[in-house]
Amino acid sequence: MYELTQVTRNYQKGRRTVSAVRDLSLTVDDGEWLAVQGRTGHGKSTLLHLLGGLDRPSSGSIDFDGRDLSGLKETQLTRVRCESFGYVFQTFNLVPTLSAAENVEAALVPMGIRGPERRRRVGAALESVGLADRMRHVPTELSGGQQQRVAIARAIVKEPKVLLADEPTGNLDEETRDDIVNLLEKLWLERGLTMILITHDSSVAKRAQRVGVMKNGNLSILRDSRRAERRRPEQRKAVAPEGEPEPAS
Amino acid sequence: MFFVTYLRRELRRRMRQSVFIMLGLALGVGLVVTVMAVSSGMQQAQGNVLQGLYGIGTDLTVTKSPPPFKADDNNGFRITMTPSGAEVCDNGKCSSGAQTIDNLNGLSYGPLPYSTIAEVAKLGKVQAVGGGLVLTDQQMVVPASVATGGALPTSTSFYVDGVDFTHSTLGPYTDGKVTSGRSFAAGDASANVAVVDSNYASAHSLKLGATVTVAKTPFTVIGQVTQPQGSQPPDVYIPLARAQALATSQGKKLTGEVNSIYVTAVSAADIPTVQAEIGRLLPSATVTSPSSLANEVTGSLANTARLTSSLGRWLAVLVLLTAFAVASLLTIAAVTRRVREFGTLKALGWRSRRVIAQVMGESAVIGIVGGLLGVGVGFAGSAVIKAVAPKLSATVVTATGQHLTSATPSGSTSYDPTITRTVPITMSAPVTLDAILLAVVLAVIGALLAGSIGSWRIAQLRPADALARVA
Ligand SMILES: Nc1ncnc2c1ncn2[C@@H]1O[C@H](COP(=O)(O)OP(=O)(O)OP(=O)(O)O)[C@@H](O)[C@H]1O
Ligand SMILES: [Mg+2]
Repeated sequence: MYELTQVTRNYQKGRRTVSAVRDLSLTVDDGEWLAVQGRTGHGKSTLLHLLGGLDRPSSGSIDFDGRDLSGLKETQLTRVRCESFGYVFQTFNLVPTLSAAENVEAALVPMGIRGPERRRRVGAALESVGLADRMRHVPTELSGGQQQRVAIARAIVKEPKVLLADEPTGNLDEETRDDIVNLLEKLWLERGLTMILITHDSSVAKRAQRVGVMKNGNLSILRDSRRAERRRPEQRKAVAPEGEPEPAS
Repeated sequence: MFFVTYLRRELRRRMRQSVFIMLGLALGVGLVVTVMAVSSGMQQAQGNVLQGLYGIGTDLTVTKSPPPFKADDNNGFRITMTPSGAEVCDNGKCSSGAQTIDNLNGLSYGPLPYSTIAEVAKLGKVQAVGGGLVLTDQQMVVPASVATGGALPTSTSFYVDGVDFTHSTLGPYTDGKVTSGRSFAAGDASANVAVVDSNYASAHSLKLGATVTVAKTPFTVIGQVTQPQGSQPPDVYIPLARAQALATSQGKKLTGEVNSIYVTAVSAADIPTVQAEIGRLLPSATVTSPSSLANEVTGSLANTARLTSSLGRWLAVLVLLTAFAVASLLTIAAVTRRVREFGTLKALGWRSRRVIAQVMGESAVIGIVGGLLGVGVGFAGSAVIKAVAPKLSATVVTATGQHLTSATPSGSTSYDPTITRTVPITMSAPVTLDAILLAVVLAVIGALLAGSIGSWRIAQLRPADALARVA
């Protein structure tokens, strides 16, 4: 899925150059769940922006499905963002004037999906996050957890290959946090998504297949249970909700 | 449609701000409409005054300046009043003692031979030519003597027009409608008959069959004419031949002369050509077109016209620019506040163009509504102006060519009486279709300008930076 080679992202701060991401090389598999931890200011968000085509590296290459994101034109990059990436943010970032359904719809607008097909997909996405009965509510009429569910529905409605989440549970209480992580895991399992999740929270990180830590712009892998998990599918089933199908392996 | 839904919601969210921008644009645009309405009202009013003075259908008038006036013993009209007696000198011919003066003068313009009319008629692009005598009848009762420092007697005057009704249908007389009695007939050419203006007739109680005295000669009133409102017509019309016989210009009889020639061009576009041709034919004559006449009009009408064209225009431009600036600033502020929202949309795969279209759409709606409100404000402004505008008047001052002197032991005072013709004007401020279109276009331009400044910021926006900002 991803092949990052010696990626560096520098920011100019006055005379000083800050390397938010430095010389980072990383491979992400198709359908894997990678959690990234790390202290504040060590480049987690910057890495996620680079992976999501929201930002370009100062040097190095980011190969995504055979295309180098750093070399794409802005319109091509927009196209890739539109088709392949779903984002979830710590602060939900819903458009405050639009209802839950309309916020989800906003993700389908640039894809040119219209009419009944659009409505069907919006309905299905909200249903899969358990908010079928909150379609007409605007963000202020929803709880934090519900808002994040809408944001997740918005991220998955276009059926992206990759779900990128930047501290999706950072603004939520523990119980809601678990709900959201369960939901993300369920979607990951159901849809065969590649999921990259940034979190400060070790209890969230430990649910992932692979956990890395960002330090001074570089990522070091702490734990990798990809192979182990493949051998023990029953364990994965334990965390998935009842009756969910096995992920394709 | 998503575009419309999103647009409506955003406008509603920022209702107060949107309304504020709309009202600002409406005010600016409304002022522009009002100023345009007032100035087109002014133009209409000026047109009325000029048509009243020079006749409907007349494109050009040909006149000649009177010969330079030398105020010496043998020139001009001199009345000297002292405690020991009065003396009246008319171009060197003096008589003393109490007397009544009644002169018909053609001193505003120099004489032109009647044959000039035919010469002008031969020029190209000339449709019709007519001529007449524009005269003033001046009357004064001079007492036997005036005490030292005593008041000088005042003169009365009225306008007399010598009408060439057997040949021409141009000139001020032809604008009037005969409202009672009859018009001139062919047999009246050398008769002492007069047609009077209905206003002058009612002011001086002149009924049909009454007598009006012109140059000490009694004329019988045979008809009354009413001139278009807002015009400044002559008071008394008499046959041209009678006018030529009775009038003088600087002591010379005007027999065989006219002093105003009225010309109609084949089309409005030919006016400059005809004007130039007449200028070549009659180098010493003044050829006047309605546009050059506008400068002769003074009085409150001219002041108001000047005021609207200077102050009004600047005020409107100022308010409009302020509205544009405020709209732009508020739009920038709104865009800045929505940076994260736009960053999110970009992250969802929205192209900058689509985000910009959204913002421009909002601006366009604000502009259109503001423009329509502005048209409303313009109509209201024009109504207010009609309601509260003071009565205006246009004033045209003409010299009489007379010179009055009062001699006293301490010296002498003198003055040159002039005749001031004042035309009351009903002020109107019509809102034209042009003004309405301009209003809407201006408001939309203003709003789109604001929108583009906002859009420029969006185009600069990199999604990562936008998302990094914590609102
Ligand atoms: N737009 C920017 N301009 C300049 N410096 C930036 C910019 N964005 C990030 N940085 C710097 O890059 C470094 C990494 O920032 P980043 O946001 O990736 O950290 P983070 O790990 O996500 O932190 P947090 O846990 O607080 O979200 C920081 O030192 C930050 O100051
Ligand atoms: Mg961060």
